[in-house]
Amino acid sequence: MSAEIDFASLPKQRVPLFVVSPRRVLADILSKGWVESTIPFLAFICVVAGVLIAADGYFSASNMRNLAQYAADGGLVVLALLIVVAVGGIDLSVGSNFAMSAFTALFCFHILELPMPAVLGLTLATGAIIGTANGVIAGLLGCGALLTTLGTMITVRGAYTLASQERLVQISTSARMDDTWDWIGFGKLLTMPVGFWVWLAVAAVVFVMFRQSRFGWHVLAVGGNRKAARHGGIRVRTTVFLAYVLAGLIVGLAGFLFAARQNSVGSDTGIGMEFFALTALVVGLGGFVPGRGAVVSVLIGFVTIYLLNNAMINAGFRYEFVQFSMGAIIIAILAIDVKFRKNRHRLLASTYLDPVAFDAGKVRGMEGLMPHETRPKLRDAAILAAGKLDGPEDVLLDAEGNIYCGNRDGRLMKIAAPDHSQVSVLAKIGGRPLGLAFDREGRIVACVAGMGLVRVTLDGQVELLTDQTQRSLFTVQDDTTIRMADDLDVAPDGTIYFTDATKRYDIENWGLDLLEGRPNGRLLSFDPKTGRTRTVCDNLVFPNGVCLTHDGRHLLVASTWECSIMIFDLDNLGAGPRVFLSGLPGYPDNINRASDGGYWVALAGMRNPVFDQAMRYPSLRRRMTRRVPPTNWLFGNLNIGGVLKIDGQGRIVDALWDAPDGPLYMITSMREHRGALYLGGVTNDKIGRLPLDGADASWTGPSSYWGGR
Amino acid sequence: MFFARKRSDPPAMTLEGVLGPNSRLDEAAGMQVSAPGALAVTAQGQLLFSSGSAVQRLRAWGGKAERWAEFPARVTALACSPGGRVAVGLEGGGLVVADEAGRLLDGWTAPADLLSATDCLFLSEDEVAVVDNGYGAGEPFLALAPWDDAARGKVVAIARAGAPRVVAGGLHCPMGVAQTRAGELAISQLERANIVAPGGALLQSGFPGYPGRLRRTETGYVLACLSRRDPLVEFLKTERDFVAEMKARIEPRHWIGPRANPEFSHDFPIELGAARLFGEVKPWAPSFSYGLVIELSDHFVPVASAHSRANGARHAISDVCVWNGALLAVSSASGEILNLGVGSLAA
Repeated sequence: MSAEIDFASLPKQRVPLFVVSPRRVLADILSKGWVESTIPFLAFICVVAGVLIAADGYFSASNMRNLAQYAADGGLVVLALLIVVAVGGIDLSVGSNFAMSAFTALFCFHILELPMPAVLGLTLATGAIIGTANGVIAGLLGCGALLTTLGTMITVRGAYTLASQERLVQISTSARMDDTWDWIGFGKLLTMPVGFWVWLAVAAVVFVMFRQSRFGWHVLAVGGNRKAARHGGIRVRTTVFLAYVLAGLIVGLAGFLFAARQNSVGSDTGIGMEFFALTALVVGLGGFVPGRGAVVSVLIGFVTIYLLNNAMINAGFRYEFVQFSMGAIIIAILAIDVKFRKNRHRLLASTYLDPVAFDAGKVRGMEGLMPHETRPKLRDAAILAAGKLDGPEDVLLDAEGNIYCGNRDGRLMKIAAPDHSQVSVLAKIGGRPLGLAFDREGRIVACVAGMGLVRVTLDGQVELLTDQTQRSLFTVQDDTTIRMADDLDVAPDGTIYFTDATKRYDIENWGLDLLEGRPNGRLLSFDPKTGRTRTVCDNLVFPNGVCLTHDGRHLLVASTWECSIMIFDLDNLGAGPRVFLSGLPGYPDNINRASDGGYWVALAGMRNPVFDQAMRYPSLRRRMTRRVPPTNWLFGNLNIGGVLKIDGQGRIVDALWDAPDGPLYMITSMREHRGALYLGGVTNDKIGRLPLDGADASWTGPSSYWGGR
Repeated sequence: MFFARKRSDPPAMTLEGVLGPNSRLDEAAGMQVSAPGALAVTAQGQLLFSSGSAVQRLRAWGGKAERWAEFPARVTALACSPGGRVAVGLEGGGLVVADEAGRLLDGWTAPADLLSATDCLFLSEDEVAVVDNGYGAGEPFLALAPWDDAARGKVVAIARAGAPRVVAGGLHCPMGVAQTRAGELAISQLERANIVAPGGALLQSGFPGYPGRLRRTETGYVLACLSRRDPLVEFLKTERDFVAEMKARIEPRHWIGPRANPEFSHDFPIELGAARLFGEVKPWAPSFSYGLVIELSDHFVPVASAHSRANGARHAISDVCVWNGALLAVSSASGEILNLGVGSLAA
């Protein structure tokens, strides 16, 4: 029936190993989360450089140790504040809490003479109790965080002053000595002070909490959008309450470290600490931002402020002058940071699209077959399910003639045979179902843009097969996630070959991929036996339709923007693709088997001279995307499309077009079934059925693949 | 030099406010005519309209059109004088003057250097102003003009048995001429989207379309637009290399630019937003062809408009006139004369 395909004699398809583009690297870096901390980090570098120039020996090991010793308790308070701010609150009572905890530690140690674990436990409990008070009033009762913590700040400060005045003499005259107490206060571990290690450990725990733990995520969700968090089923009040308690606990720990180091407290202990910590937080976060648990940024902000403050005091400036300069510097840092954040997205938006010159070559093999040269044969097609579908990108028919297709709203629809007027929902998948295929067991495997590869049984059970593949070696952007699974086919051994049409754009923005014209797509395979997903060939130009050849040994893959069809040898996938057919008059979408040993190729849109020329002008396309509204971007003609019939050797033998303004346009898929061709379109709301003259009236897709089931 | 101010044009009008979209042209009563182009109302109150190389006469709306005259070339312009004379501009720059019965009058010859007779207007019973847009027969000026820098157009006054005189020169694709209440001429320019006086002084600019003919009415003027401005076309004007290659390698039919017809063809480029949804063209989609009639005040300020949007067919309004109080327009895309009703569009 179908002639042998001479793979070795076909021309090689050029596939780049990697894409090098400075603009793309810049865009990818700008889209990374850690870029948010650029300005605090630069400020930190500037401060370090400034101190290096101005002060001799500031960064000596002994001074660093000294700084680490004194910075630890302040650093802990900043972390505590970060948790409260992340949940959408504020804590002004950290300074008072800090002083009270320090006093508790000293009281327990010197006056009650409790053992060390008890001292630590009671100190932490003090911090946690004050945190609980804040949590109950601000979190559970829902009073304002600012007023609540202002109240606790004053109350606790009053209690602290009363208690400390009464017991201060007793504490300072106590003679109790304890090695552990001294070790916590002055000891070193791996050359650094113990307090520093404690600080680092707490920072690590908070970091992991925000990144990995359920509670941390809940905190960020509540801070990000309280209402949405509640709707999402998060217990908002409890989360806020717990955040305050945790913050109180950390402040208690800071107070304990302070007490062990200083062995005394004064009337000014912890005064102004809340503002210092808030300043550090604001510099690190670039503003007062709830819902962001950026531990590293906040610590960088803290160290910046701390170093600046310390270096200026050390240099002998008057305290008032130091305050004045600090304020000015912080305002400058914040102003720059706010500007950067505001413009980062713009910069990203204007660099993300990175077009390249592209030439799809001349149209070939279409003599006498172009739309203006032939009768519009699709005019004879009957229209099925008109208005009952929303974007059937692919159509699939089972042996009984039922039609299956995906909808734009993420549902998989079934149009029942024989009259194809009953439309029902087979399954709710989500995402954007595109290509469909039957596996050997008669289940539907679907490519779902925004999800990955999904398997649906005919009774509507949905199972996600895969949504990730290996990461490419040479990209800044993490491309493990399958972004736009487009079409698939199943090999005789059950392996599913499918395309990820573009790694850089979502389905709503697929048009940008054409304007870019870069090889952003890939061919993947999924082995149901091992559950393994593999990248078969990376850096393809919008790989779209996939079709297993009739001999079951080769794979046809449409390269949409290149207007060509590639072929892979399944026995030697490493050899890469070769060109099966090129110079198509339009943009090929899905490819499917024909009953006579040839193939049907859907054309989603048509090339035209002006657009082909624009593809050779990359900078024009880039300027256009910046200056012209998206609705007015020059584009390939999607209002006309058709179906090409090719033989088993890749020669175009027929072309089916609708009238220029006919109902069947932008055809993205077609399937032959019992002597008729069924046509789907991704922007259409109907399916066309064209009777085929002389086609095998018993031929069906499932039997062609899996025998007479 | 340092203080030289950047010359900036006044901001272009957008299709908002009185120019906001409506479907008046689509809803208007229409009369099918083969290849219509120009309209004129005779001194006796009959409507003359061109249909290819013929001119037909209509005595009343809804009546049957009768043949008035036939010419050797396509009729491109019509004008009537109060004294009962009819000037007929022909493709390629010809001009004939006839009486109301269609009998040709002697003594009228167009100068040989006239490339087109895009519009004409009686300055007196013995003098006709003829607009020459600078594009000869067979040159698709709508496709060419947006990409052309040369201002070859002119308005020539042709007197009966007298030497022609150039009233206004150096115009960029002038399309229409009208006489102001003060007796001065006002000339519409297609690509420049403005109305100028013969000396070049701007009377109004920034129209959201490609102006065609300009006609006086009782209250002001009516401007027929052949298409609307498009941000993509305006952007491409700054891309000189691209346009140069397009002009050199691609035939004008396939160029990007305003079009006179909303037809689909596989070899025309489209704009991204013009992609059909469920088979339908969205009315708000961008389109290269459009139907637009703008009613202007005495000072050329828009006061109302009638549209046929992207999903409509009554595009490329080539002429307008007021006949028995009703505003008529010619849609050359749909081949119809449209009756927009009596009174101002603003009412």
